[in-house]
Amino acid sequence: MSPGSVIGRGAVVRGNVRGEGSLEILGRVEGDVNVSGDVVLGESGVVRGNVSGVELSIAGTVQGDLRGSQSVLLERGARVVGDLSAPRIGVAQGALVRGTVRTDGEPALAGAARRGAQLHAPRPAPAAAPPKPFVVKEAPKPLVSEEPEAEAPKPEAKHEPKPEKEKESSPRERERPPAPVVPALGKGAKAKKKRREA
Amino acid sequence: MLGAGTRVTGRVTGDGSVRLDGSLKGDVQITGAAEIGAGATVEGNVHAEAVEVSGSLIGDVSASGPIAVRSGALVRGELKGAEVSIEPGSRVSVRIDTELELDLGAAPRRR
Amino acid sequence: MAGTVIGEGLSIEGDLTSDEEVVVHGTVRGKLTTSDAVTVGGTGSVQADVSGSSVSIAGQVTGDVTAQERIDLQAGGRLVGDVKASRFTIADGASFKGNVDMEM
Repeated sequence: MSPGSVIGRGAVVRGNVRGEGSLEILGRVEGDVNVSGDVVLGESGVVRGNVSGVELSIAGTVQGDLRGSQSVLLERGARVVGDLSAPRIGVAQGALVRGTVRTDGEPALAGAARRGAQLHAPRPAPAAAPPKPFVVKEAPKPLVSEEPEAEAPKPEAKHEPKPEKEKESSPRERERPPAPVVPALGKGAKAKKKRREA
Repeated sequence: MLGAGTRVTGRVTGDGSVRLDGSLKGDVQITGAAEIGAGATVEGNVHAEAVEVSGSLIGDVSASGPIAVRSGALVRGELKGAEVSIEPGSRVSVRIDTELELDLGAAPRRR
Repeated sequence: MAGTVIGEGLSIEGDLTSDEEVVVHGTVRGKLTTSDAVTVGGTGSVQADVSGSSVSIAGQVTGDVTAQERIDLQAGGRLVGDVKASRFTIADGASFKGNVDMEM
Protein backbone atom coordinates (compact mmCIF):
# COMPACT_ATOMS: atom_id res chain seq x y z
CA MET A 1 0.00 0.00 0.00
CA SER A 2 0.95 3.55 -0.44
CA PRO A 3 2.25 5.68 2.31
CA GLY A 4 -0.13 8.41 3.29
CA SER A 5 -0.58 11.48 1.20
CA VAL A 6 0.29 14.98 2.23
CA ILE A 7 -0.95 18.26 0.86
CA GLY A 8 1.99 20.38 1.90
CA ARG A 9 1.86 23.66 3.69
CA GLY A 10 2.63 25.59 0.54
CA ALA A 11 0.21 23.68 -1.63
CA VAL A 12 -3.16 24.76 -2.94
CA VAL A 13 -5.56 22.30 -4.52
CA ARG A 14 -8.46 23.61 -6.50
CA GLY A 15 -10.66 20.62 -6.99
CA ASN A 16 -11.66 17.44 -5.27
CA VAL A 17 -9.32 15.05 -3.55
CA ARG A 18 -10.41 11.47 -3.27
CA GLY A 19 -9.16 7.95 -3.10
CA GLU A 20 -7.43 5.36 -1.00
CA GLY A 21 -5.35 5.86 2.04
CA SER A 22 -4.90 8.57 4.56
CA LEU A 23 -4.30 12.21 3.96
CA GLU A 24 -2.64 14.96 5.87
CA ILE A 25 -3.54 18.48 4.85
CA LEU A 26 -1.21 21.29 5.81
CA GLY A 27 -2.06 23.50 2.86
CA ARG A 28 -5.30 24.54 1.29
CA VAL A 29 -7.97 22.55 -0.50
CA GLU A 30 -10.82 24.21 -2.32
CA GLY A 31 -13.04 21.26 -2.97
CA ASP A 32 -14.27 18.11 -1.31
CA VAL A 33 -12.01 15.61 0.34
CA ASN A 34 -13.13 12.01 0.41
CA VAL A 35 -10.69 9.29 1.35
CA SER A 36 -10.87 5.71 2.57
CA GLY A 37 -8.46 6.40 5.40
CA ASP A 38 -7.96 9.02 8.05
CA VAL A 39 -7.70 12.73 7.51
CA VAL A 40 -5.48 14.98 9.56
CA LEU A 41 -5.97 18.68 9.00
CA GLY A 42 -3.04 20.49 10.51
CA GLU A 43 -3.17 23.89 12.12
CA SER A 44 -2.12 25.53 8.89
CA GLY A 45 -4.61 23.54 6.85
CA VAL A 46 -7.69 25.05 5.26
CA VAL A 47 -10.48 23.19 3.51
CA ARG A 48 -13.35 24.82 1.75
CA GLY A 49 -15.53 21.85 1.05
CA ASN A 50 -16.79 18.71 2.72
CA VAL A 51 -14.40 16.27 4.28
CA SER A 52 -15.08 12.60 4.79
CA GLY A 53 -12.90 9.77 5.98
CA VAL A 54 -12.60 7.24 8.77
CA GLU A 55 -11.09 9.27 11.55
CA LEU A 56 -10.93 13.00 11.11
CA SER A 57 -8.58 14.97 13.26
CA ILE A 58 -9.00 18.67 12.71
CA ALA A 59 -6.78 21.44 14.00
CA GLY A 60 -7.19 23.78 11.05
CA THR A 61 -10.00 25.65 9.38
CA VAL A 62 -12.94 24.13 7.54
CA GLN A 63 -15.93 25.56 5.81
CA GLY A 64 -17.96 22.50 5.04
CA ASP A 65 -19.28 19.37 6.65
CA LEU A 66 -17.14 16.82 8.42
CA ARG A 67 -18.12 13.19 8.31
CA GLY A 68 -16.10 10.45 9.96
CA SER A 69 -17.15 6.82 9.68
CA GLN A 70 -15.47 6.38 13.06
CA SER A 71 -14.78 9.74 14.55
CA VAL A 72 -14.46 13.45 14.13
CA LEU A 73 -12.21 15.17 16.61
CA LEU A 74 -11.77 18.91 16.64
CA GLU A 75 -8.60 19.92 18.35
CA ARG A 76 -7.68 23.10 20.05
CA GLY A 77 -7.41 25.83 17.47
CA ALA A 78 -9.79 24.18 15.02
CA ARG A 79 -12.31 26.50 13.40
CA VAL A 80 -15.20 24.87 11.64
CA VAL A 81 -18.33 26.27 10.08
CA GLY A 82 -20.35 23.27 9.07
CA ASP A 83 -21.96 20.13 10.41
CA LEU A 84 -20.14 17.32 12.19
CA SER A 85 -21.30 13.74 12.17
CA ALA A 86 -19.66 10.50 13.28
CA PRO A 87 -20.26 7.72 15.80
CA ARG A 88 -17.76 9.47 18.02
CA ILE A 89 -17.29 13.21 18.14
CA GLY A 90 -15.04 15.37 20.22
CA VAL A 91 -14.73 19.11 20.36
CA ALA A 92 -11.77 20.13 22.46
CA GLN A 93 -11.59 23.26 24.50
CA GLY A 94 -10.25 25.96 22.28
CA ALA A 95 -11.90 24.54 19.18
CA LEU A 96 -14.63 26.62 17.61
CA VAL A 97 -17.52 25.27 15.65
CA ARG A 98 -20.67 26.72 14.22
CA GLY A 99 -23.12 24.17 12.96
CA THR A 100 -24.81 21.02 14.08
CA VAL A 101 -22.99 18.24 15.83
CA ARG A 102 -24.59 14.85 15.78
CA THR A 103 -23.35 11.47 16.86
CA ASP A 104 -24.69 8.55 14.87
CA GLY A 105 -27.98 7.21 16.18
CA GLU A 106 -29.15 10.50 17.56
CA PRO A 107 -32.15 12.10 15.91
CA ALA A 108 -31.61 15.25 13.93
CA LEU A 109 -32.43 18.33 15.87
CA ALA A 110 -35.91 19.55 15.13
CA GLY A 111 -35.63 22.57 12.94
CA ALA A 112 -31.93 22.08 12.65
CA ALA A 113 -32.21 22.26 8.93
CA ARG A 114 -33.05 25.89 8.68
CA ARG A 115 -29.86 27.50 9.78
CA GLY A 116 -27.80 24.50 8.93
CA ALA A 117 -28.90 24.69 5.35
CA GLN A 118 -28.08 28.32 5.19
CA LEU A 119 -24.59 27.70 6.31
CA HIS A 120 -23.90 25.60 3.33
CA ALA A 121 -25.74 27.29 0.62
CA PRO A 122 -22.85 29.49 -0.37
CA ARG A 123 -20.36 26.71 -0.60
CA PRO A 124 -18.65 26.66 -3.96
CA ALA A 125 -19.02 23.99 -6.45
CA PRO A 126 -15.56 22.57 -6.44
CA ALA A 127 -13.52 24.41 -8.97
CA ALA A 128 -12.87 21.47 -11.20
CA ALA A 129 -16.05 19.57 -10.68
CA PRO A 130 -16.31 16.93 -13.35
CA PRO A 131 -13.29 14.76 -13.90
CA LYS A 132 -11.69 16.53 -16.74
CA PRO A 133 -8.88 14.51 -18.09
CA PHE A 134 -7.35 17.21 -20.17
CA VAL A 135 -7.04 20.85 -19.68
CA VAL A 136 -7.69 22.51 -22.92
CA LYS A 137 -4.62 24.26 -24.08
CA GLU A 138 -4.81 27.92 -23.58
CA ALA A 139 -3.18 30.55 -25.62
CA PRO A 140 0.56 30.35 -25.03
CA LYS A 141 1.31 32.02 -21.78
CA PRO A 142 4.65 33.30 -20.65
CA LEU A 143 6.05 30.34 -18.82
CA VAL A 144 7.11 31.95 -15.63
CA SER A 145 5.81 29.65 -13.01
CA GLU A 146 7.18 31.45 -10.01
CA GLU A 147 4.86 34.32 -10.44
CA PRO A 148 1.90 34.40 -8.16
CA GLU A 149 -0.40 34.38 -11.07
CA ALA A 150 0.45 30.76 -11.46
CA GLU A 151 -2.37 30.48 -8.98
CA ALA A 152 -4.72 32.64 -10.85
CA PRO A 153 -8.08 30.98 -11.23
CA LYS A 154 -8.50 29.04 -14.35
CA PRO A 155 -11.04 30.43 -16.70
CA GLU A 156 -13.12 27.33 -16.25
CA ALA A 157 -13.49 28.08 -12.59
CA LYS A 158 -15.89 30.85 -13.31
CA HIS A 159 -18.64 30.31 -15.69
CA GLU A 160 -20.22 33.64 -15.46
CA PRO A 161 -20.29 35.60 -18.61
CA LYS A 162 -16.68 36.04 -19.33
CA PRO A 163 -15.26 39.45 -18.87
CA GLU A 164 -13.43 40.87 -21.80
CA LYS A 165 -10.23 39.20 -22.72
CA GLU A 166 -8.08 42.16 -21.86
CA LYS A 167 -9.59 42.27 -18.43
CA GLU A 168 -8.22 38.86 -17.69
CA SER A 169 -4.71 40.13 -17.71
CA SER A 170 -5.34 42.87 -15.25
CA PRO A 171 -3.72 41.82 -12.03
CA ARG A 172 -6.75 42.52 -9.91
CA GLU A 173 -8.87 40.24 -11.91
CA ARG A 174 -6.34 37.49 -11.85
CA GLU A 175 -5.79 37.50 -8.16
CA ARG A 176 -9.39 37.09 -7.35
CA PRO A 177 -10.32 33.70 -5.91
CA PRO A 178 -12.48 31.59 -8.16
CA ALA A 179 -15.80 32.48 -6.70
CA PRO A 180 -16.77 34.66 -3.83
CA VAL A 181 -17.86 32.12 -1.35
CA VAL A 182 -17.61 33.51 2.09
CA PRO A 183 -18.79 37.00 2.48
CA ALA A 184 -15.70 39.02 2.96
CA LEU A 185 -14.83 39.19 6.58
CA GLY A 186 -16.76 41.93 8.14
CA LYS A 187 -19.79 41.26 10.19
CA GLY A 188 -18.23 39.30 12.98
CA ALA A 189 -14.72 40.51 12.54
CA LYS A 190 -14.85 42.69 15.57
CA ALA A 191 -16.24 39.97 17.72
CA LYS A 192 -13.55 37.66 16.54
CA LYS A 193 -10.91 40.13 17.36
CA LYS A 194 -12.37 40.57 20.78
CA ARG A 195 -12.28 36.87 21.27
CA ARG A 196 -8.66 36.73 20.32
CA GLU A 197 -7.77 39.33 22.81
CA ALA A 198 -9.77 37.72 25.53
CA MET B 1 -28.37 20.94 44.87
CA LEU B 2 -30.93 18.53 43.64
CA GLY B 3 -30.09 15.09 44.94
CA ALA B 4 -30.26 11.82 43.12
CA GLY B 5 -33.69 10.33 43.36
CA THR B 6 -35.31 13.72 43.56
CA ARG B 7 -37.89 14.55 40.98
CA VAL B 8 -38.80 18.11 40.32
CA THR B 9 -41.24 19.59 37.91
CA GLY B 10 -40.87 23.33 37.69
CA ARG B 11 -38.41 26.06 37.41
CA VAL B 12 -35.06 26.35 39.12
CA THR B 13 -33.94 29.93 39.49
CA GLY B 14 -31.64 31.93 41.70
CA ASP B 15 -28.25 33.32 42.43
CA GLY B 16 -25.38 30.95 42.78
CA SER B 17 -24.62 27.55 41.39
CA VAL B 18 -26.58 24.36 41.23
CA ARG B 19 -25.78 20.73 40.87
CA LEU B 20 -28.50 18.45 39.59
CA ASP B 21 -28.40 14.74 40.20
CA GLY B 22 -32.08 13.99 40.06
CA SER B 23 -34.70 14.50 37.46
CA LEU B 24 -35.96 17.91 36.47
CA LYS B 25 -38.68 18.88 34.09
CA GLY B 26 -38.45 22.62 33.72
CA ASP B 27 -36.04 25.42 33.09
CA VAL B 28 -32.97 26.32 35.03
CA GLN B 29 -32.03 29.94 35.27
CA ILE B 30 -29.23 30.78 37.62
CA THR B 31 -26.38 33.24 37.86
CA GLY B 32 -23.70 30.70 38.71
CA ALA B 33 -22.64 27.40 37.28
CA ALA B 34 -24.99 24.55 36.51
CA GLU B 35 -23.73 21.03 36.75
CA ILE B 36 -25.88 18.22 35.50
CA GLY B 37 -24.56 15.07 37.10
CA ALA B 38 -24.11 11.74 35.42
CA GLY B 39 -27.36 10.35 36.73
CA ALA B 40 -29.42 13.46 36.18
CA THR B 41 -32.12 13.96 33.60
CA VAL B 42 -33.13 17.47 32.66
CA GLU B 43 -35.85 18.38 30.24
CA GLY B 44 -35.86 22.11 29.88
CA ASN B 45 -33.71 25.04 28.97
CA VAL B 46 -30.69 25.90 31.00
CA HIS B 47 -29.33 29.37 31.40
CA ALA B 48 -26.31 29.81 33.60
CA GLU B 49 -22.89 31.29 33.70
CA ALA B 50 -21.27 27.97 32.95
CA VAL B 51 -22.82 24.62 32.21
CA GLU B 52 -21.37 21.17 32.57
CA VAL B 53 -23.38 18.18 31.49
CA SER B 54 -22.54 14.62 32.41
CA GLY B 55 -26.09 13.35 32.43
CA SER B 56 -28.98 13.76 30.09
CA LEU B 57 -30.22 17.12 28.91
CA ILE B 58 -32.94 17.82 26.42
CA GLY B 59 -33.31 21.52 25.90
CA ASP B 60 -31.39 24.57 24.91
CA VAL B 61 -28.42 25.81 26.82
CA SER B 62 -27.10 29.30 26.99
CA ALA B 63 -24.13 30.35 29.02
CA SER B 64 -22.00 33.45 29.22
CA GLY B 65 -19.09 31.15 29.98
CA PRO B 66 -18.16 27.70 28.80
CA ILE B 67 -20.43 24.77 28.09
CA ALA B 68 -18.88 21.36 28.58
CA VAL B 69 -20.46 18.10 27.51
CA ARG B 70 -18.77 15.19 29.25
CA SER B 71 -18.24 11.68 28.07
CA GLY B 72 -21.35 9.63 28.75
CA ALA B 73 -23.68 12.61 28.51
CA LEU B 74 -26.68 12.81 26.23
CA VAL B 75 -27.52 16.29 24.97
CA ARG B 76 -30.10 17.41 22.47
CA GLY B 77 -30.70 21.07 21.79
CA GLU B 78 -28.99 24.30 20.97
CA LEU B 79 -25.83 25.25 22.74
CA LYS B 80 -24.97 28.88 22.99
CA GLY B 81 -21.90 29.66 24.99
CA ALA B 82 -18.62 31.46 24.90
CA GLU B 83 -17.04 28.14 24.23
CA VAL B 84 -18.48 24.71 23.74
CA SER B 85 -16.51 21.54 24.28
CA ILE B 86 -17.71 18.01 23.74
CA GLU B 87 -15.94 14.95 25.00
CA PRO B 88 -15.81 11.92 22.78
CA GLY B 89 -18.07 9.25 24.18
CA SER B 90 -21.03 11.56 24.58
CA ARG B 91 -24.18 11.29 22.52
CA VAL B 92 -25.22 14.58 21.05
CA SER B 93 -27.53 16.15 18.57
CA VAL B 94 -26.88 19.79 19.05
CA ARG B 95 -26.49 22.98 17.21
CA ILE B 96 -23.62 25.15 18.29
CA ASP B 97 -24.02 28.78 17.63
CA THR B 98 -20.64 30.21 18.26
CA GLU B 99 -19.85 33.53 16.81
CA LEU B 100 -17.28 32.49 14.29
CA GLU B 101 -16.17 34.00 11.06
CA LEU B 102 -13.74 32.08 8.99
CA ASP B 103 -11.00 34.02 7.38
CA LEU B 104 -10.94 32.02 4.21
CA GLY B 105 -10.87 34.80 1.74
CA ALA B 106 -7.20 35.39 2.23
CA ALA B 107 -5.00 34.76 -0.72
CA PRO B 108 -3.24 31.43 -0.54
CA ARG B 109 -0.17 31.57 1.59
CA ARG B 110 3.04 32.30 -0.14
CA ARG B 111 6.32 32.17 1.58
CA MET C 1 10.65 15.37 3.23
CA ALA C 2 8.57 16.38 0.31
CA GLY C 3 6.06 19.13 0.87
CA THR C 4 3.25 17.40 -0.94
CA VAL C 5 2.87 13.70 -1.57
CA ILE C 6 -0.06 12.34 -3.53
CA GLY C 7 -0.06 8.69 -2.51
CA GLU C 8 -0.93 5.80 -4.73
CA GLY C 9 -4.70 5.48 -4.90
CA LEU C 10 -5.32 9.13 -4.22
CA SER C 11 -6.52 11.39 -6.96
CA ILE C 12 -6.87 15.10 -7.31
CA GLU C 13 -9.52 16.27 -9.71
CA GLY C 14 -8.29 19.78 -10.18
CA ASP C 15 -5.23 21.94 -10.05
CA LEU C 16 -2.41 21.63 -7.58
CA THR C 17 -0.22 24.65 -6.97
CA SER C 18 2.67 24.72 -4.54
CA ASP C 19 5.92 26.34 -3.62
CA GLU C 20 7.34 23.10 -2.27
CA GLU C 21 8.39 19.78 -3.67
CA VAL C 22 5.57 17.67 -5.06
CA VAL C 23 5.67 13.89 -5.39
CA VAL C 24 2.92 12.11 -7.26
CA HIS C 25 2.33 8.39 -6.82
CA GLY C 26 -1.38 8.77 -7.44
CA THR C 27 -3.29 10.78 -10.00
CA VAL C 28 -3.59 14.48 -10.69
CA ARG C 29 -6.21 15.48 -13.24
CA GLY C 30 -5.39 19.12 -13.46
CA LYS C 31 -2.40 21.38 -13.72
CA LEU C 32 0.48 20.77 -11.39
CA THR C 33 2.54 23.85 -10.74
CA THR C 34 5.30 24.36 -8.21
CA SER C 35 8.43 26.43 -7.90
CA ASP C 36 10.21 23.39 -6.47
CA ALA C 37 10.88 19.91 -7.84
CA VAL C 38 8.24 17.56 -9.20
CA THR C 39 8.56 13.79 -9.12
CA VAL C 40 6.02 11.60 -10.84
CA GLY C 41 6.62 8.11 -9.46
CA GLY C 42 6.13 4.85 -11.31
CA THR C 43 2.49 4.61 -10.28
CA GLY C 44 1.93 8.31 -10.70
CA SER C 45 -0.09 9.94 -13.41
CA VAL C 46 -0.61 13.57 -14.29
CA GLN C 47 -3.13 14.40 -16.96
CA ALA C 48 -2.44 18.05 -17.53
CA ASP C 49 0.48 20.44 -17.75
CA VAL C 50 3.31 20.12 -15.27
CA SER C 51 5.66 22.85 -14.26
CA GLY C 52 8.46 22.85 -11.72
CA SER C 53 12.07 23.73 -11.09
CA SER C 54 12.98 20.23 -12.17
CA VAL C 55 10.68 17.43 -13.20
CA SER C 56 11.38 13.72 -12.96
CA ILE C 57 8.92 11.34 -14.56
CA ALA C 58 8.84 7.60 -13.97
CA GLY C 59 5.08 7.35 -14.41
CA GLN C 60 2.77 8.90 -16.94
CA VAL C 61 2.29 12.47 -17.93
CA THR C 62 -0.12 13.64 -20.59
CA GLY C 63 0.42 17.34 -20.98
CA ASP C 64 3.16 19.85 -21.49
CA VAL C 65 6.07 19.82 -19.10
CA THR C 66 8.11 22.88 -18.24
CA ALA C 67 11.08 23.04 -15.93
CA GLN C 68 13.41 25.86 -15.00
CA GLU C 69 16.29 23.44 -14.70
CA ARG C 70 15.78 19.97 -16.07
CA ILE C 71 13.37 17.27 -17.05
CA ASP C 72 14.27 13.62 -16.65
CA LEU C 73 12.11 10.99 -18.22
CA GLN C 74 13.01 7.82 -16.36
CA ALA C 75 12.93 4.23 -17.55
CA GLY C 76 9.31 3.17 -17.70
CA GLY C 77 8.18 6.77 -17.82
CA ARG C 78 5.76 7.87 -20.46
CA LEU C 79 5.28 11.43 -21.58
CA VAL C 80 2.90 12.69 -24.21
CA GLY C 81 3.25 16.42 -24.56
CA ASP C 82 5.72 19.13 -25.29
CA VAL C 83 8.77 19.69 -23.18
CA LYS C 84 10.48 22.90 -22.33
CA ALA C 85 13.66 22.96 -20.28
CA SER C 86 17.32 23.66 -20.79
CA ARG C 87 18.17 20.03 -20.03
CA PHE C 88 16.11 17.05 -20.98
CA THR C 89 17.05 13.40 -20.61
CA ILE C 90 15.18 10.36 -21.81
CA ALA C 91 16.23 7.09 -20.23
CA ASP C 92 16.34 3.80 -22.05
CA GLY C 93 12.90 2.27 -21.71
CA ALA C 94 11.04 5.53 -21.51
CA SER C 95 8.56 6.66 -24.11
CA PHE C 96 8.04 10.16 -25.32
CA LYS C 97 5.86 11.80 -27.89
CA GLY C 98 6.00 15.52 -28.36
CA ASN C 99 8.20 18.46 -29.17
CA VAL C 100 11.23 19.60 -27.27
CA ASP C 101 12.18 23.19 -26.71
CA MET C 102 15.60 23.53 -25.12
CA GLU C 103 16.05 27.20 -25.76
CA MET C 104 17.55 29.13 -22.94
